[in-house]
Amino acid sequence: MEEPQGEKSSQPQDDWVRFISSDGYSFLVKRKVALASPTLRGMLDVSSNFAEAAMNTCRLEERGIVVEKLLEYLAYKSTFESAPKKEDIPDFMERIAPEIALELLMAADYYDS
Amino acid sequence: MSRRNNVRGPTSALTEFLKESGITPTTIARRARTRQVEQPAQLEAGPSNAQQNGDQPESGPRGTNGNAEEYASDHLDETDEEQPAQKKRKMTKTAEAKEKAKAKANAKKKKGDDEDFEDSDEDEDAYTALSKMWKDNSKPPVGSFENCARCNKQFTVTKYTMAANPPPGFLCHLCAKASGADPFKKPAAPRKRKAATEKRNVVHFEERRFPSLASLCIKIISHYIDDVEALGDIGSINLDELAKSLARNRSLTPQNAPLFYNVENTNLTLYDVTHLTPPAFNTLAALNPNLTSLRLDFCGRIDDTVMDSWTTSLPHLKRIELLGPFLIRIAAWKKFFETHPNLEGFLITQSPRFDLECTKAMVDNCKNIKELRLNEIGKMDDAILNEIKQYGEQLTYLEIAYPGVPEALSDDVVVDLMSAVGASLKHLNLSNNVNLTDGFLFQGLKPHARQLSTLVLANLPELTDAGVAEFFDTWKAAVQDHPNRALVNLDLSRNHELSDKALISLLKHSKKSLTNLNINGWKTTSQEVLKERSMIGLSRNSWRNAIRSKKSRCGDVNGSVSNALASAASPLLVSRSMWLHKISSAFSLG
Repeated sequence: MEEPQGEKSSQPQDDWVRFISSDGYSFLVKRKVALASPTLRGMLDVSSNFAEAAMNTCRLEERGIVVEKLLEYLAYKSTFESAPKKEDIPDFMERIAPEIALELLMAADYYDS
Repeated sequence: MSRRNNVRGPTSALTEFLKESGITPTTIARRARTRQVEQPAQLEAGPSNAQQNGDQPESGPRGTNGNAEEYASDHLDETDEEQPAQKKRKMTKTAEAKEKAKAKANAKKKKGDDEDFEDSDEDEDAYTALSKMWKDNSKPPVGSFENCARCNKQFTVTKYTMAANPPPGFLCHLCAKASGADPFKKPAAPRKRKAATEKRNVVHFEERRFPSLASLCIKIISHYIDDVEALGDIGSINLDELAKSLARNRSLTPQNAPLFYNVENTNLTLYDVTHLTPPAFNTLAALNPNLTSLRLDFCGRIDDTVMDSWTTSLPHLKRIELLGPFLIRIAAWKKFFETHPNLEGFLITQSPRFDLECTKAMVDNCKNIKELRLNEIGKMDDAILNEIKQYGEQLTYLEIAYPGVPEALSDDVVVDLMSAVGASLKHLNLSNNVNLTDGFLFQGLKPHARQLSTLVLANLPELTDAGVAEFFDTWKAAVQDHPNRALVNLDLSRNHELSDKALISLLKHSKKSLTNLNINGWKTTSQEVLKERSMIGLSRNSWRNAIRSKKSRCGDVNGSVSNALASAASPLLVSRSMWLHKISSAFSLG
C-alpha cells in the first residue's frame, strides 16, 4: 500500500483513505471501498464537517485484525456486488477466522456492512 | 413441380430408390384411399396413414423420404428392399416420428368430419391436396372472399385469417384482433426446461443476494457454537451488544442462543427471540437456573408448556419482562404467579388473554410487586385497575398504556387508582387511554404524585392546552410538604390540543432536570416560545446534564441545538416538534 498522493481540497473518488485501528495499525484503502459501508460513508462525507472527512483518515475503535477483515470484506463487496449473478463469486466465509467472529460481528453491525 | 420435359437434375439416393421401386405419389394416394375404405373405424390410424401416404408427393424429397421409407419398412419382410432400407432406417425413424407427430396433431385438430375434407382434397388433386394437409383444410383458399362470422363484412382470406372461436366461420382481421387472439403472433416455441437441479441452484443463489458480513459472522458463530473456545475470548466482548447485533439481524436461533447462557447468570436480556421454539425456552431456563431478571422481546412462541416448565426451573425469578407473550393462557399465568410469590417486577406487553382472573391471581400471590406493566392488554378494564389498587404505595413503576379498547379505562377509576398508588410512583405511563381528561391531571396527579420522574401521557386527546398549563403551574405548590421534583422524562406526544401555554409552563416546571421531552404532534407553537429563554435554558441545562451522566458526541448536538434556536423557526407544527424531539432524543442518546 503506497503512501497517498497529496490530497487536494477537491477529493476525487479515486483517492486513498486511511483507517487507524485502536492498537495503532494503519490501513489504506481506496475511497470506493470505504464507501461500501454506509457508516463509513457518513464519516467520510465531504459535505459534513467531520474532521475525518477533511483529513481522509478515520480512527476506528476495533482491533487491528478486526479492522483488516472488515476492510477486506468491503473490498470484496465493492468488487463482487455488481457482478452478474452467474459469475463465480468466491466465498468469503472461509476467510474469516472463528476467533474474531464475535468481534467482527459487532463491527459489522456497527458499520452496517 | 410438373415435368413438361423429361430433364431430371441430380437426385438423392432416396429419390433414386423411389423411382426404382416405382413408388409414386399417385400410387400411394390410391393405396391410401383403399386403406381408408378398409379401416374406417381406426380414426387415428386412418388419417395418419392417409396423411403419410398423401404426404409423399407433396414435399418432394423430404416427404418422400419418410413415407417411402415407412412404406418400405412396413413391408420389410415382404419385399426384398431390406438392404437399402436398412441404411435409411435411422432417418426413417426420425421421419416417422415427425410424421406421427404431425399426423396426430392433425388428427386431433380434425376428428371425423375432416376426413371428408381430406378425402375430397385428395380426390381433386393428389399433389396439391397434400400440401394442404399441414394447413387448416377447413380454411378457404387464400385470396378468396369470406364473410366474417362476427360482423358479417366481406374480407379477403389471408394466411393470417383466424377461425372464429365457436367453430363455424372465420373472422376478419379486425374481429380477430378484437377477440384478443393475435394472428401475427408466432406460436411460442417450446422451451427446454432447465434441469431441476440447475433450476434449484440458480434460485438459491438469487435468494442469497450478496451476503452481509454480519450474516457471515453469525453463520460462523453458529457453526462453532459447541466449541466455544474457538470463538476466542468472549469475556472481553460485551454480551449485551452481541445480543443486540443478533437481534438486529433476527438471527438468534436455538443454536447460537447458548452463547448467552451461563449458570451464573442473574440477568438475561434477549432482544428478539422470534426463532426460539418452546423446547429452546425450556433449555433457556434449564441452563440459567439462577436468573433473577429475565427480559425477552418478541417472545410470541412462548406457550403454556414453557410457562409450566418455568414454574419449576426459574425459582429465583424476581423480574420478568415479556414483549408479545400472547399464547399464554389464563391457567398458565395463574400457575406462574402461584409458583413465584417473590415476584417484584411483572412487565408484559401484548396479551389478549391476560384478564381480571389473572390479575387477581397476581395480587393474591405476588405481594411484592413494585414494577407493573400491562401494556396493550386486550381485556384491560376498570375492574383490573381496582385490583391493582391493592398494591398501594409499593408500586414504583406503572404502565397501563394502549389498552385493547382505548375507552376501557374511565377517568374516575384512574383517579382512584392514583390516589392509592400515586405517592410512590416514579414512572407512569397511561398513554392512549382516551377518556382521560384534565380532571385526571388535577385530581389524580396533582395531589398524589410526589416522586414522579417519568411521565408518559401520549395520545390523550382530551387534554387541553390551558389545563396542562395550569397543571404544571400549580403542581409544585400542590403538596406542601413534599412537592414533586422536576420531571426528567416527559412525553406528551400526539396530544393535538397542546400548544404554547402548555410548553411554557412545563418548561418552567421542569427545565432544570428535563432530559427527554417529546412534544411530537402538538399544535403550532410560535417562534417566540422557542426562542424564549426558558427554552434556551432547557437546552443548556439538559446538555450539561447529559454530559454529566454519559459521554456523547456533544459537538454535533450543540450545533443542532444552536441551529434550531437561531434559525427562524417555521410555523409548521411538525418540523418544530420534531426538532425538539430530535434534540431531546439526541440528549437521551448522550
